[in-house]
Amino acid sequence: MSDPGDPIDIVPLGNGRFQVTQGTKRTIAYAIAGRDTWVFLDGHTFVVNDTADGSPRRSRIDEQGALTAPMPATVLKINVAAGQPVQRNDVVMVLEAMKMELPIRSPRDGVVKAIRCEAGELVQPGTMLLELEDAKIAP
Amino acid sequence: MTASHPFNRILIANRGEIAVRVIRACREMGIESVAVYSDADARALHASLADVAVRIGPPPAIESYLSIDAILAAARQTGAQAIHPGYGFLSENADFASACDAAGVAFIGPPPQAIERMGSKIAARTLAIEAGVPVVPGETPADQSDAAIADAARRVGFPVLLKPSEGGGGIGMKTARSDRDLVEAIPQGRREALAAFGDGTLYVERLIEQPRHIEFQVLADHHGHIVHLFERECSIQRRHQKVIEESPSPVVTPALRQRMGDAAVAVARKAGYRNAGTVEFLVEGAGDSARFYFLEMNTRLQVEHPVTEQVTGVDLVRAQIGIAAGRELAWTQKDLSQRGHAIELRVYAEDPANHDLPQAGSLLLYREPTMPGVRIDSGVTEGSDVAVHYDPLLVKLIASGETRSAARARALAAIRDYPVLGIRTNIPLLIELLQHPRFVAGNIDTGFLDAEGDAIRARLSSSPSPAVVAVAAAARASGTTAASRGVARANNIDPWSSLRGARV
Repeated sequence: MSDPGDPIDIVPLGNGRFQVTQGTKRTIAYAIAGRDTWVFLDGHTFVVNDTADGSPRRSRIDEQGALTAPMPATVLKINVAAGQPVQRNDVVMVLEAMKMELPIRSPRDGVVKAIRCEAGELVQPGTMLLELEDAKIAP
Repeated sequence: MTASHPFNRILIANRGEIAVRVIRACREMGIESVAVYSDADARALHASLADVAVRIGPPPAIESYLSIDAILAAARQTGAQAIHPGYGFLSENADFASACDAAGVAFIGPPPQAIERMGSKIAARTLAIEAGVPVVPGETPADQSDAAIADAARRVGFPVLLKPSEGGGGIGMKTARSDRDLVEAIPQGRREALAAFGDGTLYVERLIEQPRHIEFQVLADHHGHIVHLFERECSIQRRHQKVIEESPSPVVTPALRQRMGDAAVAVARKAGYRNAGTVEFLVEGAGDSARFYFLEMNTRLQVEHPVTEQVTGVDLVRAQIGIAAGRELAWTQKDLSQRGHAIELRVYAEDPANHDLPQAGSLLLYREPTMPGVRIDSGVTEGSDVAVHYDPLLVKLIASGETRSAARARALAAIRDYPVLGIRTNIPLLIELLQHPRFVAGNIDTGFLDAEGDAIRARLSSSPSPAVVAVAAAARASGTTAASRGVARANNIDPWSSLRGARV
């Protein structure tokens, strides 16, 4: 069963499929990013416009390796610290929006270069949350 | 019946899901298929599936799929012995059927005379009356004075519809429920008819209230055998475009079915009909005492033929090919029966939240549901480009079950598990319709969608939940983009096209 307040957990399964878990309820969603991002969840199709609210809803990682907020939200919890190695899909922080928790996962393996937000801070779409860098290869 | 088949190559003069359906039937029967395509369809599913594909012209249908010359040239060039016209395009064009005969190619359909006769509403109506089949009472009074038209209205019986005799498409139609209404309706109808069609002549017809659209499938061979394959209920339609069809109809009783089936066969026999056809009726009321009226005959395979196939077990396309090859029907009427229930959903590339505007674009992600009792007749695949040139029908989902309620539940489960991303479709509308209390109860008539459509559409748009936004963010973050998955983009140069002429 799920409660609207339960955190939402999303794991990419590959080929456009995503496992969505909220509470104990599991669903498969489908999504693909084009000029807009199309999402299919529970029989409903959504077009998530990148500039729906006028601000660039840049998705979470840009070329510099910065993880950005996908939506207006409050930073609830930061699970990592600068210098810490992370693996792909690790939950690095949790945002809260519309009374729901939204885990932010690392898009790849790497090392946290810097944390750019604080717990309790209100972030806007595109706000940088943390910076990632490639793990240094041991000499 | 002989084991060998007189056709070893059939050309399919169509596109989309119906071309794919016929290509697959040919393959099962060991017959080579020839697809034809316009420039807009060079990479379409039907063109890639067929054994041979021939370009017939530029995107406009009039220069490609409607060009008799181009299609017959393709048949000559490929040595096709028969042409399956599908539905739409040239399927009900008597000149095309005649041209096929003249070219020595079998037309998989009825003779040109039957197409012509049933293509004329007036001739078809006369034929039905001659066959002893009821028609909607109506007449065009020779004397077009107000008094004579009022007399005609009383003869036909109120309520009546005054229609421009030369008209169509519902323009200028006036309803009158009494003599009093006629005082205004007659001059008004005449003025509008004159303005719209240049002729003020009025046709007076009995208005059938809350009619159901119920049609009967017939098959006729070249040896005098005609059978019907029961009914399809097609009352869920908007602006005369069907959206959901089913068989059996929730209101047809065994006694009514018998009477309507006999009437359908009588019409087909009177028309000298051959091959597959459909006799359409309007039905008023329910139960054994329901009244039915001949509407028209469609002289082709129908879009909704799969529901009949699912409940009778008969493959109508195979039957069509067999009949055209001169075979006798494999069954008599008493061999045929309906078993279970089937519901077809038509998935259109149109936006139900925005006046059903046709949509064009690439299917960035497209995954068909796979489950027992669900059949998908599709004309597209992941990566297909949907062009604006043709009918917006993408695919038909047909769900079968032991009962209507089982078929409905299955249709709903399947359509909810059917991601079609990249262009908007009417899937949200289909989901709402399947759950509408009137559909669930089987209490539908041809006015249902026009009456309830706005209320249903108002429920369609919802703002994305946090889960949706999170999935979108995850898709962008994980690089799940059309480009990364190799989906061809419209207007992009594709590397294989540019290799043409190169030594590989």
